Amino acid sequence: MVELEVLTNGVNAIWVLTVTFLIFFMQAGFAMLEAGQVRAKNVANVLMKNMMDWSLGVLVYFFVGLGIAGVAAGLTSSGGFSVAESFAYINDSSAWVSWLFGAVFAMTAATIVSGAVAERLKFKAYVFYSVGITGVVYPVIQGFAWGGGLLSGNGFLGAAVGVGYLDFAGATVVHMLGGVAGLVGAYMVGPRRGRFDSKGDSVPIPGHSMTLVALGTMILAFGWYGFNVGTQATVLAVENGALAFKGTALGRVALNTTLGMGAGGVAAALTTVYTEGKPDPLFTANGLLAGLVAVTGAVPHVTWVGGLILGLIAGVQLPFVYRWVVDVLGIDDVCGVFAVHGSAGAIGTLLIPVFAVSGFSATQLAMQAVGIGVITVWTVVATYFIFKLAQVTVGLRVSESEEIEGLDEGEHGVSAYPEFSGSGGNAGAGETAVDGGEKR
Amino acid sequence: MKKVEAVIRPEKLEDVKESLSDAGFPSMTVTDVKGRGLQEGVTQSWRGEEYNVDFLNKTRIEIVASEEDVDEIVDVIADSARTGDIGDGKIFVSPVETAVRIRTGEEGDDAV
Repeated sequence: MVELEVLTNGVNAIWVLTVTFLIFFMQAGFAMLEAGQVRAKNVANVLMKNMMDWSLGVLVYFFVGLGIAGVAAGLTSSGGFSVAESFAYINDSSAWVSWLFGAVFAMTAATIVSGAVAERLKFKAYVFYSVGITGVVYPVIQGFAWGGGLLSGNGFLGAAVGVGYLDFAGATVVHMLGGVAGLVGAYMVGPRRGRFDSKGDSVPIPGHSMTLVALGTMILAFGWYGFNVGTQATVLAVENGALAFKGTALGRVALNTTLGMGAGGVAAALTTVYTEGKPDPLFTANGLLAGLVAVTGAVPHVTWVGGLILGLIAGVQLPFVYRWVVDVLGIDDVCGVFAVHGSAGAIGTLLIPVFAVSGFSATQLAMQAVGIGVITVWTVVATYFIFKLAQVTVGLRVSESEEIEGLDEGEHGVSAYPEFSGSGGNAGAGETAVDGGEKR
Repeated sequence: MKKVEAVIRPEKLEDVKESLSDAGFPSMTVTDVKGRGLQEGVTQSWRGEEYNVDFLNKTRIEIVASEEDVDEIVDVIADSARTGDIGDGKIFVSPVETAVRIRTGEEGDDAV
């Protein structure tokens, strides 16, 4: 006699772990995407930030993060809670697969920030903020939206509006949060030297490798299938004593994810043909990701037409929102994380009720706006506070001479490309042969 | 003796080398250089923002030859390096006092 519950639990756990590993691989995508968009003298620093926010972040999320999510949910809903229960996962082996599944989402939010503050933020300050976002900033929103807290049906706000907030896999809970946090961080640390001229006009600082940008983008898109399709965590279920296969739900999230991605890339390419005269590879790479972000909250809720349109909107808004951040706000968001993760996530999630399979609901639209507002306000306030704390303790910005020399040398004493960094003020270059031999 | 110094498009080096070799002038020294002409570089863009690339990658070929070969060498380089577009480069010819083949000690025309 086959125990159906055991069978479904086993199959679903294999699926969840598989997609968890896919989402983890997005860390490689972010590292390559960001490395390609910075100058060669800052590459090792960007890679270091990406490795450290993951490594340190999982420890913080294990000891503190998920527990804070439980507490935040309990405090803001009618459900009631206990601190001990919120932290019970630490010694409960049956909770560890879902802890890991939650952790990879938290680390995704954390790693987005490094792209915005690249090339001038102190490594110490970045580590400081990584602890803050994985320990508090993200977990609170996770509890509000997904843990039965403030924004859910039982939460104080959700109950007041009459419906729970919809964000399936984290277009706002993960991506917009990361994008807004990055924007605040980039504002606080200030623009890179030379990003704006004496009249305040922007001057481009080209990154060192479009190849890495494209590689990182494709790795991210690959991992994103884990992010979106994987959040449909139930492959098999037991219904009325029989096995039920959730093929249609999986199909919808897989299709919407793909259409959103494709539409985002195409729309960004076409928009740049209009704005620049030629299709722009960097904006196209960003557009593909913006399309993915836009549908991340919506994939199970909207029709495939909706998924397509959300991706299109995300791709079209990208160059304009990026210019707005640079020209109007005067913020140097190196990798454009606000336009890719922030605005795209907000728009895609807000419009879920417009393209809903279940039909339009004004109440749901209102709740979507409320949820986006709550997440934005919390992220701005909490991020500002944490960066301020970093500023008065470890300092935010590297010295002017270190910025000119490069953070690789200044922060880590290395060079990402030793054989190509003879010029550019690399201290010590010319003293030692780069092939390992001693120069005579 | 004269020195022929040609600054050409890097992608034309292969053609120039083959043509010179076929004409009987296989010896040359090649350097990667950067330079610009009357156009002062080219414009490129990063995320839609334009910036000027002041110096472009070029390849410099140096050949030292006897006087009677110089005209032919210049013609071969000019013909094989030409595309007709802006940026094809320039050829300079200058006198050389002497040359020494290090292995044998031969001097002058015998050494090149």
